[in-house]
Amino acid sequence: MESREYRFGNMASKKLRRAGLAQELCERLSRHQINTCHDFLCVSFLELMKVTGQSYQNVQKLLCKVSRACAPKMQTAYDLKMKRAVNPFSAFLSTTLDSLDKTLHGGVACGSLTEVTGPPGCGKTQFCIMMSVLATLPTSLGGLDGAVIYIDTESAFSAERLVQIAEHRLPNYFVTEEKLVSMTRSIHLYRELTCESVLKRIESLEEEIISKKVKLVIIDSVASVVRKEFDTKLQGNLTERSNFLAREASMLKYLAEEFSIPVILTNQITTWLSNGLAIQADLVSPADDLSLSEVSGAPGSRKMESGCMIAALGNTWSHSVNTRLILQYHDLQTRQILVAKSPVAPFSAFLYTIEKSGLVLQDGKDQQDPTWEGTNPALQALRVRNNALKEDLLDNALPSSTGKDPI
Amino acid sequence: MQRDLGSLPLAPALRARLVGAGFSTAQELLEVGPCELSKEIGISNEEALETLQVIRQECDSDAARMGGDPTSLRTCTALELLEQEQAQGFVVTFCSVLDDILGGGVQLTKITEICGAPGVGKTQLCMQLAVDVQIPECFGGLAGEAVYIDTEGSFMVERVADIATACVQHCQLIAEAHQEEDHHKALETFSLESILSHIYYFRCHDYTELLAQIYLLPDFLSEHSKVRLVAVDGIAFPFRHDFEDLSLRTRLLNGLAQQLISIANDHKLAVILTNQMTTRIGQSQSTLVPALGESWGHAATIRLILHWDNNQRLATLYKSPSQKESTVPYCITPHGFRDVQPPPPSQTPEGSEMNPRKRPRIEEDKQ
Repeated sequence: MESREYRFGNMASKKLRRAGLAQELCERLSRHQINTCHDFLCVSFLELMKVTGQSYQNVQKLLCKVSRACAPKMQTAYDLKMKRAVNPFSAFLSTTLDSLDKTLHGGVACGSLTEVTGPPGCGKTQFCIMMSVLATLPTSLGGLDGAVIYIDTESAFSAERLVQIAEHRLPNYFVTEEKLVSMTRSIHLYRELTCESVLKRIESLEEEIISKKVKLVIIDSVASVVRKEFDTKLQGNLTERSNFLAREASMLKYLAEEFSIPVILTNQITTWLSNGLAIQADLVSPADDLSLSEVSGAPGSRKMESGCMIAALGNTWSHSVNTRLILQYHDLQTRQILVAKSPVAPFSAFLYTIEKSGLVLQDGKDQQDPTWEGTNPALQALRVRNNALKEDLLDNALPSSTGKDPI
Repeated sequence: MQRDLGSLPLAPALRARLVGAGFSTAQELLEVGPCELSKEIGISNEEALETLQVIRQECDSDAARMGGDPTSLRTCTALELLEQEQAQGFVVTFCSVLDDILGGGVQLTKITEICGAPGVGKTQLCMQLAVDVQIPECFGGLAGEAVYIDTEGSFMVERVADIATACVQHCQLIAEAHQEEDHHKALETFSLESILSHIYYFRCHDYTELLAQIYLLPDFLSEHSKVRLVAVDGIAFPFRHDFEDLSLRTRLLNGLAQQLISIANDHKLAVILTNQMTTRIGQSQSTLVPALGESWGHAATIRLILHWDNNQRLATLYKSPSQKESTVPYCITPHGFRDVQPPPPSQTPEGSEMNPRKRPRIEEDKQ
């Protein structure tokens, strides 16, 4: 049994000797390749009796002993609440988008995975850069007073934009050069371009988080490396991809919970055909339409089969993230952020624009459409740029709607 | 078992015959069937059977005195079972239509599996049930406690606090309407703090921790005998990745299922498990099916599938030994799991799902 997975900070790989089993017994077990708690618990009862040469009752006792060595500690829900209450600011990281914060009970939740997905150009990286600034702020201003780890797989991070957002969003705080420098120094950027290197980087994070006093981990984006390396049209690749993503999610959840920090991940979008198959959509070309006659090779697809855009990476990934925020186009100028999946918030939508200070909510305008309910967050349809264009009456040249738009 | 024949309460004549046939200990006698015994010592079948039963009883009571387990043969008649079932309580979900199709709510001594697409409300339902099991008896609850085993990290204590507060308010309204003494007394101890204090939370990061926790659960439950609900939120998650050896997975899952069934029975509590959905790629279609394979489908007694129909959440009772297969709508409000409010009569007669504009706003104040 591969023990690679269990290297990552949990009790399962605890050696049996440290579980309190007698030396002689441990030696006997190791002769049968049973070395850790994990190995012990996976062997069948009869096999255990055979290997240890002990009676039924004694093997029961051994099982309990080993289980005690690696079972989780019990806490009551009340204990959990008290832990969060001690430091109310550290249960959520405020996004400074007031209506969004209110819906989400405070902001981006600590100790869980929040995914931000949407078409290119909607503002995912902008959101990540903005959150990076906010995390470094002192708690009195709603920040987490800590460093940020930013894993960039698309080389989209722009330090100039970071500074611009900081200066425009919090002009009263970032008054001196020194404050800006200190902020930029706390954001640790890692460029990873393959699945393997991303996984390795995540494995190394436990120590980084402790040594650098990190309070936010961002991966922008999870999808790009995965989609490059796994071609889901090929046999077996879908399972492998799911495995990889599940492993990644599991490690990130461990980090998020262990250190009570938020983890933000970005995702891309894909086309979902009404027959249920999803194909990797190439949305870079502006002439892109939903006419699927352009898409070749999709098994079983007919021409002009209706489809829509949804979050990429599939159904299992949708289970793995705790919160899903969808950014989509509303019209030429404005975009919309949807709370598609959240353990604390109902389905909600907010309009925003992207400006020098980052994302800005358009309060007062037709904010939430209260009669609009969400659906399965894995299949929530998204509006891409071209839908927005078609539905707008303007057919002239596009006015520049925002400042910088690096994506 | 090695009891000498002389110490057994048998008639002297019978004893003489047995000794004459060569029997000396109870053990030897019990190895023989009644027909064989009757032939050997020349008594009737009925007498032989009676003799063996007497001896067996003697030996069993010996075992009991020595601290053995006489209840290892768990038999009872259907009548006894019927009486038990009728007296049994249920854990309500607060969605009355869902409770109806379940026959009253989530049943004790059974395993109920809740499958569903992401975000459909599985964790919400688990949290709701962990609160509802604690409702005092005078309000129709079980006054029990809950064990919550979380493998996905979806448990959010703020949300449970919201649900618990709403539940307490609901009970307070009932108490005001009915003005009975035990209602007010019960409400003294039924508060947000007490509800949260009686949810025992375990966070398992992988299947080893889950296995370990389930092994230790019987001892925990013996110490906390008021627990009436064990929720495992995410039985699928730890088993879905990195399992090259599928037969090991099947074996472990089967073992887990067996242990949970015996826990549910021994401690008279309800076990609920949540399961994910997985994509099954067909020829030209792909469908969502419950994860963990076909053989896992046998583990749970009752299977509930939560799914979406456009914007409406639906719950389908997919497998149950006593209730009919049916589907009902539900919704999730800031207060928790609830019924869908029927649209007021002034609007369109047919509640059309296709037209979301006619869907009524969810009641109660949003925060």
